[in-house]
Amino acid sequence: MRKIGAARIGIGGPVGSGKTALVERLIPALHKRGVDLAVITNDLVTHEDAERLRRTNLLAPERILAVEAGACPHTVIREDPTLNMEAADSLDRDFPDLDLILIESGGDNLASTFSLDLVDYWLFVIDVAGGDDIPRKRGPGVIQSDLLVINKVDLAPYVGVTLAPMIREASAARAGRPVLCTNCRANEGIDAVADALCAAVLYQAA
Amino acid sequence: MNDLSGLLTALQFGDGQFPGGGFAFSWGLESLIADGQITRTGFGGFLAGQMRHRWAKCDRVIIAHAHAAAGDLSRLLALDDLADAWATVETMRAGSRRAGLALLGTHLRLGTPGAQPLKNAIDGGKAQGHLPVVQGVVLAGIGLDGPSALAVSAYGMAQSFCTAAIRLGLISHLDAQRSLADVRPDLARIIAEPMPDTDDIQSFTPLADIAAMRHMDQTQRLFSN
Ligand SMILES: Nc1nc2c(ncn2[C@@H]2O[C@H](COP(=O)(O)OP(=O)(O)OP(=O)(O)O)[C@@H](O)[C@H]2O)c(=O)[nH]1
Ligand SMILES: [Mg+2]
Repeated sequence: MRKIGAARIGIGGPVGSGKTALVERLIPALHKRGVDLAVITNDLVTHEDAERLRRTNLLAPERILAVEAGACPHTVIREDPTLNMEAADSLDRDFPDLDLILIESGGDNLASTFSLDLVDYWLFVIDVAGGDDIPRKRGPGVIQSDLLVINKVDLAPYVGVTLAPMIREASAARAGRPVLCTNCRANEGIDAVADALCAAVLYQAA
Repeated sequence: MNDLSGLLTALQFGDGQFPGGGFAFSWGLESLIADGQITRTGFGGFLAGQMRHRWAKCDRVIIAHAHAAAGDLSRLLALDDLADAWATVETMRAGSRRAGLALLGTHLRLGTPGAQPLKNAIDGGKAQGHLPVVQGVVLAGIGLDGPSALAVSAYGMAQSFCTAAIRLGLISHLDAQRSLADVRPDLARIIAEPMPDTDDIQSFTPLADIAAMRHMDQTQRLFSN
Protein backbone atom coordinates (compact mmCIF):
# COMPACT_ATOMS: atom_id res chain seq x y z
CA MET A 1 0.00 0.00 0.00
CA ARG A 2 2.67 2.50 1.01
CA LYS A 3 4.88 4.27 -1.50
CA ILE A 4 8.21 2.62 -1.97
CA GLY A 5 10.41 3.76 0.88
CA ALA A 6 13.03 2.13 3.05
CA ALA A 7 12.56 -1.52 3.98
CA ARG A 8 11.37 -1.91 7.58
CA ILE A 9 12.73 -4.52 9.93
CA GLY A 10 11.32 -5.26 13.38
CA ILE A 11 13.47 -6.46 16.28
CA GLY A 12 11.50 -7.97 19.14
CA GLY A 13 12.30 -10.10 22.15
CA PRO A 14 12.16 -10.32 25.94
CA VAL A 15 13.51 -7.59 28.23
CA GLY A 16 17.30 -7.48 28.26
CA SER A 17 17.87 -10.18 25.62
CA GLY A 18 20.22 -7.83 23.73
CA LYS A 19 18.05 -6.04 21.15
CA THR A 20 19.81 -2.70 21.55
CA ALA A 21 23.21 -4.41 21.72
CA LEU A 22 22.37 -6.12 18.41
CA VAL A 23 21.29 -2.82 16.84
CA GLU A 24 24.58 -1.26 18.01
CA ARG A 25 26.49 -4.06 16.29
CA LEU A 26 24.31 -4.11 13.18
CA ILE A 27 24.74 -0.41 12.42
CA PRO A 28 28.45 -0.64 11.47
CA ALA A 29 27.93 -4.04 9.83
CA LEU A 30 25.19 -2.61 7.62
CA HIS A 31 27.14 0.58 6.92
CA LYS A 32 29.98 -1.63 5.69
CA ARG A 33 27.48 -3.12 3.23
CA GLY A 34 26.59 0.35 1.98
CA VAL A 35 23.14 0.39 3.62
CA ASP A 36 21.64 3.82 4.38
CA LEU A 37 20.09 3.33 7.80
CA ALA A 38 17.81 4.75 10.51
CA VAL A 39 16.45 3.38 13.79
CA ILE A 40 13.19 3.68 15.74
CA THR A 41 13.14 2.57 19.38
CA ASN A 42 9.98 1.79 21.34
CA ASP A 43 11.41 2.42 24.77
CA LEU A 44 8.98 1.29 27.37
CA VAL A 45 9.54 3.69 30.20
CA THR A 46 11.98 6.38 29.04
CA HIS A 47 13.97 7.34 25.98
CA GLU A 48 16.87 5.33 27.38
CA ASP A 49 17.60 3.15 24.34
CA ALA A 50 17.28 6.02 21.86
CA GLU A 51 19.63 8.12 23.96
CA ARG A 52 22.05 5.22 24.40
CA LEU A 53 22.16 4.76 20.61
CA ARG A 54 22.67 8.47 20.06
CA ARG A 55 25.60 8.47 22.50
CA THR A 56 27.37 5.78 20.46
CA ASN A 57 27.63 8.28 17.56
CA LEU A 58 27.11 5.40 15.14
CA LEU A 59 24.27 7.28 13.47
CA ALA A 60 23.35 10.94 13.16
CA PRO A 61 20.97 11.75 16.06
CA GLU A 62 18.14 12.74 13.69
CA ARG A 63 18.21 9.19 12.31
CA ILE A 64 17.20 7.79 15.70
CA LEU A 65 13.56 8.31 16.72
CA ALA A 66 11.86 7.20 19.93
CA VAL A 67 8.18 6.23 19.97
CA GLU A 68 6.45 5.88 23.35
CA ALA A 69 4.34 2.80 23.83
CA GLY A 70 2.01 3.93 26.65
CA ALA A 71 3.07 0.80 28.56
CA CYS A 72 1.82 -1.35 25.67
CA PRO A 73 4.84 -2.73 23.80
CA HIS A 74 2.62 -5.29 22.02
CA THR A 75 0.04 -2.77 20.88
CA VAL A 76 2.48 -0.34 19.29
CA ILE A 77 3.97 -3.02 17.02
CA ARG A 78 0.87 -5.08 16.32
CA GLU A 79 -2.71 -4.02 17.14
CA ASP A 80 -2.03 -0.34 16.57
CA PRO A 81 1.32 0.30 14.90
CA THR A 82 0.22 3.69 13.54
CA LEU A 83 2.70 5.72 15.63
CA ASN A 84 5.59 3.57 14.44
CA MET A 85 4.33 3.82 10.86
CA GLU A 86 4.15 7.60 11.14
CA ALA A 87 7.68 7.70 12.56
CA ALA A 88 8.95 5.49 9.71
CA ASP A 89 7.10 7.61 7.12
CA SER A 90 8.74 10.74 8.55
CA LEU A 91 12.19 9.10 8.25
CA ASP A 92 11.38 8.24 4.62
CA ARG A 93 10.44 11.88 4.02
CA ASP A 94 13.52 13.30 5.77
CA PHE A 95 16.00 10.86 4.22
CA PRO A 96 14.93 10.07 0.65
CA ASP A 97 17.89 7.70 0.08
CA LEU A 98 17.16 5.59 3.13
CA ASP A 99 17.42 1.82 2.48
CA LEU A 100 16.50 0.37 5.84
CA ILE A 101 14.73 1.26 9.09
CA LEU A 102 15.30 -0.93 12.15
CA ILE A 103 12.43 -0.81 14.64
CA GLU A 104 13.38 -2.04 18.13
CA SER A 105 10.38 -3.13 20.16
CA GLY A 106 10.24 -2.41 23.87
CA GLY A 107 11.28 -5.45 25.90
CA ASP A 108 8.29 -7.75 25.96
CA ASN A 109 7.42 -11.42 26.34
CA LEU A 110 7.39 -14.50 24.13
CA ALA A 111 3.97 -13.69 22.68
CA SER A 112 4.97 -10.48 20.94
CA THR A 113 4.77 -10.39 17.16
CA PHE A 114 5.01 -7.59 14.59
CA SER A 115 2.25 -6.39 12.28
CA LEU A 116 3.11 -7.03 8.66
CA ASP A 117 1.60 -3.61 7.89
CA LEU A 118 4.49 -2.17 9.91
CA VAL A 119 7.48 -4.31 8.91
CA ASP A 120 8.64 -6.30 5.90
CA TYR A 121 10.63 -8.72 8.02
CA TRP A 122 11.19 -9.20 11.73
CA LEU A 123 13.56 -10.96 14.01
CA PHE A 124 13.15 -12.11 17.55
CA VAL A 125 16.08 -11.98 19.96
CA ILE A 126 16.30 -14.38 22.90
CA ASP A 127 19.37 -15.11 24.97
CA VAL A 128 20.85 -18.23 26.49
CA ALA A 129 20.64 -16.76 30.00
CA GLY A 130 16.84 -16.74 29.70
CA GLY A 131 17.01 -20.54 29.75
CA ASP A 132 17.48 -23.25 27.13
CA ASP A 133 13.80 -24.15 27.48
CA ILE A 134 12.65 -20.94 25.78
CA PRO A 135 12.41 -22.51 22.28
CA ARG A 136 10.37 -25.40 23.73
CA LYS A 137 7.88 -22.91 25.13
CA ARG A 138 7.01 -22.11 21.52
CA GLY A 139 5.97 -18.49 22.02
CA PRO A 140 4.55 -16.82 18.90
CA GLY A 141 7.66 -14.58 18.77
CA VAL A 142 9.94 -17.61 18.67
CA ILE A 143 7.80 -19.46 16.15
CA GLN A 144 6.59 -16.76 13.76
CA SER A 145 9.59 -14.44 13.44
CA ASP A 146 11.42 -14.51 10.12
CA LEU A 147 14.71 -14.95 11.94
CA LEU A 148 15.37 -16.14 15.49
CA VAL A 149 18.55 -14.84 17.08
CA ILE A 150 19.97 -16.59 20.13
CA ASN A 151 22.20 -14.01 21.78
CA LYS A 152 24.74 -14.04 24.62
CA VAL A 153 26.13 -17.40 23.55
CA ASP A 154 29.27 -16.45 25.52
CA LEU A 155 27.23 -16.93 28.70
CA ALA A 156 26.17 -20.51 27.92
CA PRO A 157 28.77 -22.21 30.16
CA TYR A 158 27.86 -19.97 33.09
CA VAL A 159 24.15 -20.66 33.02
CA GLY A 160 24.40 -24.39 32.37
CA VAL A 161 23.20 -24.25 28.77
CA THR A 162 24.51 -26.55 26.04
CA LEU A 163 24.09 -24.64 22.82
CA ALA A 164 23.74 -27.42 20.25
CA PRO A 165 20.50 -28.93 21.64
CA MET A 166 19.06 -25.45 22.21
CA ILE A 167 19.63 -24.56 18.54
CA ARG A 168 18.24 -27.93 17.44
CA GLU A 169 15.07 -27.43 19.47
CA ALA A 170 14.69 -23.89 18.20
CA SER A 171 15.00 -25.05 14.59
CA ALA A 172 12.52 -27.85 15.20
CA ALA A 173 10.01 -25.48 16.83
CA ARG A 174 10.41 -23.20 13.79
CA ALA A 175 10.08 -26.00 11.29
CA GLY A 176 13.59 -25.34 10.00
CA ARG A 177 13.27 -21.57 9.50
CA PRO A 178 16.50 -19.68 10.23
CA VAL A 179 18.12 -19.50 13.66
CA LEU A 180 21.37 -17.61 14.18
CA CYS A 181 23.61 -17.30 17.23
CA THR A 182 25.32 -14.09 18.33
CA ASN A 183 27.60 -12.78 21.00
CA CYS A 184 27.01 -9.05 20.83
CA ARG A 185 29.59 -8.39 23.50
CA ALA A 186 32.40 -9.77 21.29
CA ASN A 187 30.78 -8.86 17.95
CA GLU A 188 30.43 -12.52 16.94
CA GLY A 189 27.79 -13.77 14.52
CA ILE A 190 26.74 -10.24 13.52
CA ASP A 191 27.81 -10.56 9.88
CA ALA A 192 25.52 -13.53 9.39
CA VAL A 193 22.59 -11.53 10.77
CA ALA A 194 23.44 -8.52 8.57
CA ASP A 195 23.69 -10.79 5.51
CA ALA A 196 20.34 -12.41 6.31
CA LEU A 197 18.64 -8.98 6.60
CA CYS A 198 20.19 -7.70 3.37
CA ALA A 199 19.27 -10.85 1.47
CA ALA A 200 15.70 -10.78 2.77
CA VAL A 201 14.73 -7.16 2.20
CA LEU A 202 17.39 -5.42 0.12
CA TYR A 203 17.83 -8.04 -2.60
CA GLN A 204 21.54 -7.71 -2.03
CA ALA A 205 23.79 -10.71 -2.47
CA ALA A 206 24.80 -12.04 0.94
CA MET B 1 -27.37 5.76 7.27
CA ASN B 2 -30.15 4.12 9.31
CA ASP B 3 -29.94 4.10 13.10
CA LEU B 4 -28.47 0.66 13.53
CA SER B 5 -25.94 1.07 10.78
CA GLY B 6 -24.97 4.46 12.25
CA LEU B 7 -24.58 2.88 15.68
CA LEU B 8 -22.39 0.11 14.30
CA THR B 9 -20.25 2.65 12.45
CA ALA B 10 -19.86 4.72 15.62
CA LEU B 11 -18.90 1.58 17.56
CA GLN B 12 -16.21 0.67 15.03
CA PHE B 13 -14.62 4.10 14.97
CA GLY B 14 -15.18 4.86 18.66
CA ASP B 15 -13.65 1.55 19.73
CA GLY B 16 -10.65 1.99 22.01
CA GLN B 17 -8.95 -0.63 19.83
CA PHE B 18 -9.33 1.47 16.71
CA PRO B 19 -5.75 1.96 15.46
CA GLY B 20 -5.18 5.68 15.83
CA GLY B 21 -2.27 5.70 18.27
CA GLY B 22 -4.43 7.08 21.11
CA PHE B 23 -3.13 4.58 23.66
CA ALA B 24 0.28 6.28 23.82
CA PHE B 25 -1.02 9.63 25.12
CA SER B 26 -2.03 10.54 28.69
CA TRP B 27 -2.64 14.30 28.12
CA GLY B 28 -0.98 15.27 31.39
CA LEU B 29 -2.29 12.41 33.53
CA GLU B 30 1.06 10.62 33.81
CA SER B 31 2.70 13.73 35.30
CA LEU B 32 -0.25 14.45 37.60
CA ILE B 33 0.16 10.98 39.04
CA ALA B 34 3.95 11.27 39.26
CA ASP B 35 3.55 14.59 41.10
CA GLY B 36 1.04 13.09 43.53
CA GLN B 37 -1.64 15.53 42.38
CA ILE B 38 -4.38 12.97 41.82
CA THR B 39 -5.74 10.03 43.81
CA ARG B 40 -7.89 7.05 42.92
CA THR B 41 -10.99 8.67 44.38
CA GLY B 42 -10.25 11.94 42.60
CA PHE B 43 -10.08 10.37 39.14
CA GLY B 44 -13.81 10.68 38.39
CA GLY B 45 -13.70 14.41 39.17
CA PHE B 46 -10.60 14.82 37.03
CA LEU B 47 -12.24 13.08 34.11
CA ALA B 48 -15.40 15.19 34.37
CA GLY B 49 -13.27 18.34 34.58
CA GLN B 50 -11.25 17.45 31.50
CA MET B 51 -14.38 16.72 29.50
CA ARG B 52 -16.24 19.84 30.67
CA HIS B 53 -13.46 22.38 30.66
CA ARG B 54 -11.31 21.25 27.76
CA TRP B 55 -13.08 18.81 25.46
CA ALA B 56 -16.50 20.51 25.58
CA LYS B 57 -15.29 24.08 25.17
CA CYS B 58 -12.35 23.60 22.85
CA ASP B 59 -11.99 20.22 21.08
CA ARG B 60 -15.73 19.80 20.55
CA VAL B 61 -16.05 23.16 18.85
CA ILE B 62 -13.17 22.52 16.46
CA ILE B 63 -14.39 18.99 15.69
CA ALA B 64 -17.91 20.19 14.97
CA HIS B 65 -16.73 22.98 12.69
CA ALA B 66 -14.28 20.66 10.90
CA HIS B 67 -17.03 18.07 10.50
CA ALA B 68 -19.32 20.67 8.94
CA ALA B 69 -16.50 21.93 6.67
CA ALA B 70 -15.06 18.51 5.78
CA GLY B 71 -15.01 19.31 2.06
CA ASP B 72 -13.78 22.90 2.44
CA LEU B 73 -10.00 22.76 2.62
CA SER B 74 -9.36 26.46 3.22
CA ARG B 75 -11.77 26.41 6.15
CA LEU B 76 -10.04 23.28 7.51
CA LEU B 77 -6.66 24.99 7.29
CA ALA B 78 -8.01 27.90 9.33
CA LEU B 79 -9.41 25.49 11.92
CA ASP B 80 -6.08 23.69 12.07
CA ASP B 81 -4.35 27.01 12.75
CA LEU B 82 -6.86 27.67 15.47
CA ALA B 83 -6.25 24.26 17.05
CA ASP B 84 -2.52 25.01 16.95
CA ALA B 85 -3.03 28.36 18.66
CA TRP B 86 -5.26 26.86 21.34
CA ALA B 87 -2.74 24.14 22.19
CA THR B 88 -0.69 26.42 24.40
CA VAL B 89 1.22 23.62 26.12
CA GLU B 90 4.02 22.18 23.99
CA THR B 91 3.50 18.51 24.93
CA MET B 92 -0.24 18.86 24.29
CA ARG B 93 0.36 20.52 20.93
CA ALA B 94 2.87 17.87 19.87
CA GLY B 95 0.48 15.17 21.11
CA SER B 96 -2.42 16.64 19.19
CA ARG B 97 -0.35 16.68 15.99
CA ARG B 98 1.09 13.19 16.45
CA ALA B 99 -2.27 11.68 17.36
CA GLY B 100 -3.89 13.58 14.48
CA LEU B 101 -1.33 12.31 11.98
CA ALA B 102 -1.61 8.75 13.27
CA LEU B 103 -5.40 8.77 13.01
CA LEU B 104 -5.24 10.36 9.58
CA GLY B 105 -2.65 7.78 8.47
CA THR B 106 -5.01 4.92 9.26
CA HIS B 107 -7.92 6.61 7.48
CA LEU B 108 -5.72 7.29 4.45
CA ARG B 109 -4.90 3.60 4.23
CA LEU B 110 -8.58 2.76 4.66
CA GLY B 111 -9.46 5.22 1.89
CA THR B 112 -11.76 7.38 4.02
CA PRO B 113 -13.11 10.28 1.92
CA GLY B 114 -11.52 13.62 2.85
CA ALA B 115 -8.35 12.10 4.31
CA GLN B 116 -6.17 12.53 1.21
CA PRO B 117 -6.71 16.27 0.58
CA LEU B 118 -5.96 17.03 4.24
CA LYS B 119 -2.84 14.86 4.12
CA ASN B 120 -1.68 16.64 0.95
CA ALA B 121 -2.08 19.99 2.73
CA ILE B 122 -0.06 18.70 5.69
CA ASP B 123 2.70 17.32 3.45
CA GLY B 124 2.72 20.66 1.64
CA GLY B 125 3.35 22.46 4.92
CA LYS B 126 -0.07 24.16 4.88
CA ALA B 127 -1.45 22.40 7.96
CA GLN B 128 -0.22 20.64 11.10
CA GLY B 129 -2.85 17.92 11.25
CA HIS B 130 -4.26 18.55 14.73
CA LEU B 131 -6.40 15.81 16.21
CA PRO B 132 -9.76 17.66 16.44
CA VAL B 133 -9.53 18.74 12.80
CA VAL B 134 -8.62 15.23 11.65
CA GLN B 135 -11.42 13.78 13.76
CA GLY B 136 -13.97 16.13 12.26
CA VAL B 137 -12.87 15.30 8.72
CA VAL B 138 -12.60 11.51 9.00
CA LEU B 139 -15.75 11.07 11.09
CA ALA B 140 -17.62 13.03 8.43
CA GLY B 141 -15.85 10.93 5.80
CA ILE B 142 -17.11 7.65 7.23
CA GLY B 143 -20.64 9.07 7.19
CA LEU B 144 -21.36 9.90 10.83
CA ASP B 145 -23.63 12.88 11.50
CA GLY B 146 -22.37 15.72 13.69
CA PRO B 147 -23.71 14.55 17.07
CA SER B 148 -22.49 10.98 16.46
CA ALA B 149 -19.05 12.28 15.52
CA LEU B 150 -18.95 14.28 18.75
CA ALA B 151 -20.08 11.25 20.73
CA VAL B 152 -17.30 9.14 19.19
CA SER B 153 -14.73 11.82 20.01
CA ALA B 154 -15.99 12.39 23.56
CA TYR B 155 -16.09 8.71 24.35
CA GLY B 156 -12.66 8.20 22.79
CA MET B 157 -11.16 10.93 24.94
CA ALA B 158 -12.84 9.70 28.13
CA GLN B 159 -11.92 6.06 27.60
CA SER B 160 -8.38 7.00 26.71
CA PHE B 161 -7.99 8.78 30.08
CA CYS B 162 -9.47 5.69 31.76
CA THR B 163 -7.17 3.14 30.13
CA ALA B 164 -4.15 5.38 30.76
CA ALA B 165 -5.17 5.64 34.43
CA ILE B 166 -5.47 1.85 34.64
CA ARG B 167 -2.07 1.30 33.03
CA LEU B 168 -0.53 3.89 35.36
CA GLY B 169 -1.91 2.00 38.34
CA LEU B 170 -4.21 4.81 39.49
CA ILE B 171 -7.60 3.11 39.12
CA SER B 172 -9.07 -0.36 38.60
CA HIS B 173 -10.97 -1.65 35.59
CA LEU B 174 -14.23 -1.25 37.54
CA ASP B 175 -13.36 2.31 38.60
CA ALA B 176 -12.92 3.06 34.91
CA GLN B 177 -16.35 1.76 33.97
CA ARG B 178 -17.97 3.64 36.87
CA SER B 179 -16.22 6.85 35.85
CA LEU B 180 -17.34 6.45 32.24
CA ALA B 181 -20.93 5.82 33.35
CA ASP B 182 -20.84 8.83 35.69
CA VAL B 183 -19.61 11.19 32.99
CA ARG B 184 -22.01 9.92 30.31
CA PRO B 185 -25.06 12.13 31.15
CA ASP B 186 -22.77 15.14 31.15
CA LEU B 187 -21.38 14.23 27.73
CA ALA B 188 -24.84 13.63 26.28
CA ARG B 189 -25.97 17.05 27.54
CA ILE B 190 -22.86 18.81 26.22
CA ILE B 191 -23.18 17.23 22.78
CA ALA B 192 -26.78 18.43 22.52
CA GLU B 193 -25.91 22.02 23.48
CA PRO B 194 -25.87 24.71 20.77
CA MET B 195 -22.48 24.89 19.06
CA PRO B 196 -20.45 28.00 19.96
CA ASP B 197 -18.70 29.99 17.30
CA THR B 198 -14.95 29.44 16.99
CA ASP B 199 -14.44 32.89 18.58
CA ASP B 200 -15.97 31.51 21.77
CA ILE B 201 -13.54 28.63 22.25
CA GLN B 202 -12.13 28.38 25.76
CA SER B 203 -10.10 25.92 27.78
CA PHE B 204 -9.30 25.96 31.48
CA THR B 205 -7.56 22.96 33.01
CA PRO B 206 -4.60 24.57 34.77
CA LEU B 207 -3.47 21.66 36.92
CA ALA B 208 -3.37 19.24 33.99
CA ASP B 209 -1.73 21.86 31.77
CA ILE B 210 1.07 22.46 34.27
CA ALA B 211 1.49 18.71 34.68
CA ALA B 212 1.71 18.34 30.90
CA MET B 213 4.39 21.05 30.79
CA ARG B 214 6.39 19.08 33.33
CA HIS B 215 6.14 15.84 31.38
CA MET B 216 9.36 16.33 29.42
CA ASP B 217 11.34 16.38 32.67
CA GLN B 218 9.79 13.32 34.31
CA THR B 219 12.15 10.42 34.92
CA GLN B 220 9.45 7.92 33.95
CA ARG B 221 7.66 8.50 30.68
CA LEU B 222 5.50 5.60 29.58
CA PHE B 223 3.33 7.99 27.61
CA SER B 224 4.02 10.51 24.91
CA ASN B 225 2.54 13.36 26.97
N1 LIG C 1 27.63 -11.38 27.90
C1 LIG C 1 26.84 -10.79 27.00
N2 LIG C 1 26.07 -9.74 27.39
C2 LIG C 1 25.30 -9.15 26.47
C3 LIG C 1 25.23 -9.59 25.12
N3 LIG C 1 24.33 -8.82 24.45
C4 LIG C 1 23.87 -7.92 25.34
N4 LIG C 1 24.45 -8.12 26.55
C5 LIG C 1 24.19 -7.38 27.79
O1 LIG C 1 22.84 -7.61 28.18
C6 LIG C 1 22.26 -6.46 28.78
C7 LIG C 1 20.97 -6.08 28.06
O2 LIG C 1 21.28 -5.73 26.72
P1 LIG C 1 20.38 -4.73 25.88
O3 LIG C 1 20.97 -4.63 24.54
O4 LIG C 1 20.14 -3.48 26.65
O5 LIG C 1 19.04 -5.57 25.86
P2 LIG C 1 17.61 -5.13 25.23
O6 LIG C 1 17.00 -6.37 24.72
O7 LIG C 1 17.79 -4.00 24.32
O8 LIG C 1 16.86 -4.65 26.55
P3 LIG C 1 15.44 -3.87 26.64
O9 LIG C 1 15.40 -2.90 25.51
O10 LIG C 1 15.48 -3.21 27.98
O11 LIG C 1 14.41 -4.94 26.55
C8 LIG C 1 23.32 -5.37 28.68
O12 LIG C 1 23.98 -5.29 29.92
C9 LIG C 1 24.24 -5.86 27.60
O13 LIG C 1 25.57 -5.40 27.73
C10 LIG C 1 26.05 -10.72 24.75
O14 LIG C 1 26.04 -11.19 23.61
N5 LIG C 1 26.83 -11.28 25.73
MG1 LIG D 1 16.76 -2.16 24.25
